[in-house]
Amino acid sequence: MALAGGAMNRHSARDLAPGPRFFLFAIISLVLMYFDQKDGWGERIRYGLTAAAYPIQVTIGSPGRLWSASSEFFRSRASLRDENQSLRQRERELALRTLRVDALEAENARLRALNDALPALVKQHHLVNVVNADLGRLRQRLIIDAGENAGLYRSQSLIDAHGLMGQLARVGPWSGELMLITDPEAAVPVEIVRNGVRTIAVGTGSADELNLPLLPSSADVRAGDLLITSGHGGVFPAGIPVGTVTESRRDPDELLAHVRARPAASIAGSRQLLALWFDRSHPSAPPAPELIESLPVAPVAQPVTAPPQSSASSPAQPVTTPAAQPAVTPVAPATASPDTQTSPPPAQPPARRPGPR
Amino acid sequence: MYTRTRESPLLVWITVLIALVLTLLPLPQWLAILWPNVVLLAVLYWSTMAPAAGGMLVGFVAGLALDVIDGSQLGQHAVAFSLLTYLAVKLHLLTRAKPIFEQAIFALLALLVYEATLWAIDGFSNRSTGTWLRWMHVPVGAILWPLVVGLLGRLHAPR
Repeated sequence: MALAGGAMNRHSARDLAPGPRFFLFAIISLVLMYFDQKDGWGERIRYGLTAAAYPIQVTIGSPGRLWSASSEFFRSRASLRDENQSLRQRERELALRTLRVDALEAENARLRALNDALPALVKQHHLVNVVNADLGRLRQRLIIDAGENAGLYRSQSLIDAHGLMGQLARVGPWSGELMLITDPEAAVPVEIVRNGVRTIAVGTGSADELNLPLLPSSADVRAGDLLITSGHGGVFPAGIPVGTVTESRRDPDELLAHVRARPAASIAGSRQLLALWFDRSHPSAPPAPELIESLPVAPVAQPVTAPPQSSASSPAQPVTTPAAQPAVTPVAPATASPDTQTSPPPAQPPARRPGPR
Repeated sequence: MYTRTRESPLLVWITVLIALVLTLLPLPQWLAILWPNVVLLAVLYWSTMAPAAGGMLVGFVAGLALDVIDGSQLGQHAVAFSLLTYLAVKLHLLTRAKPIFEQAIFALLALLVYEATLWAIDGFSNRSTGTWLRWMHVPVGAILWPLVVGLLGRLHAPR
């Protein structure tokens, strides 16, 4: 690329004076920007460019991986034996727990009388490696080493050993860009395990903090509450651990509580993640990706069966990332809901898909 | 307009590629805030000191690479880089002859124009415009300008 560009620079581009040349590049940039907003052609151009940029991304990520690989190599026998022992211990615990979970699941299925109708939720999974991380205030993204070649699709859920990591924002030929749940543009529909209160967890731009900005002061939430995905919104399946509430503060002057949570997944530390495929017939599974792709705007912003007033109150805007909308739009209805009991439930966009409940 | 180029375009492209990698290195949070936009400084250097070898095309391609890797809007960095290189090429006879301190002030202005362009595009396209921390790399880059001149100046024979 460097050689070809150099040659071009010498022959064609240098014949133009700076003014016209700037004009040319500015026009190209503006056209690219226009198509990127439109989401059709821009996505295809980006797909090709992503493939070209993948070597650079691997290079950028390599010092960190070299460090971890070499420190792995030089670890002593003793520490490996210790680790082996603790892993074995953990495996025994997990095996016991799995037994219990199996029993509970069987009981649950019997109770629901769905014994043969209920398939396993996760149909297939694929282990991916993190090749590069961007954990800044404005963007919390990971680049992973698998893309369309492994069958990954946009808005696919990824988890690590402890909980939800995020969804795929972009899929390249051999790489994918994961939008973490802590990305400032990310929003995850969650549920408090203790009492089933549903809300939305929004990223803060910090890898160890989530914000729950839409809970009214009267909501029953306290530090230590476990958050799981609620399965609404059509992106994440129900029941994946998202985080633990660390702080729940109420200001008498304000309608909303200040609630913060810590992600369950180790957002900054995980090097290996699991990409999940779901059995669509399971009640907890999100709807098919084709359905999401076919929606005109962000899938979570314009649900299929949205009530008319919610679609009227949030006019269609070109939104570039799927989860960008719910972080902003539901604020107005949610602030109004605590004192007006008779009004229809807050028009939270993600909450309108036929789900498990 | 230009005198015949003495700098090999290959040298320019390779240094810009290295600068691109340095720009995007994953860093601890505090360092990431203070980290200069290395590729921007490299492009600014080459379009000031060797506008024939490293001109607007280098800037445009570097900006496009940032767009793709950074995941920002396609063309956003590219247009900001093109604007920056345009100004640098246009004014290179003026700025190149100045002492290093005055050059750093010009660099500060150029980086301000660059970041303001990005900021404006973010605003127009309804994206988050971020906090004031995004402007931190501007003074840092200007302070590091003498270092950039010292390092890259060793690779060729500056006029």
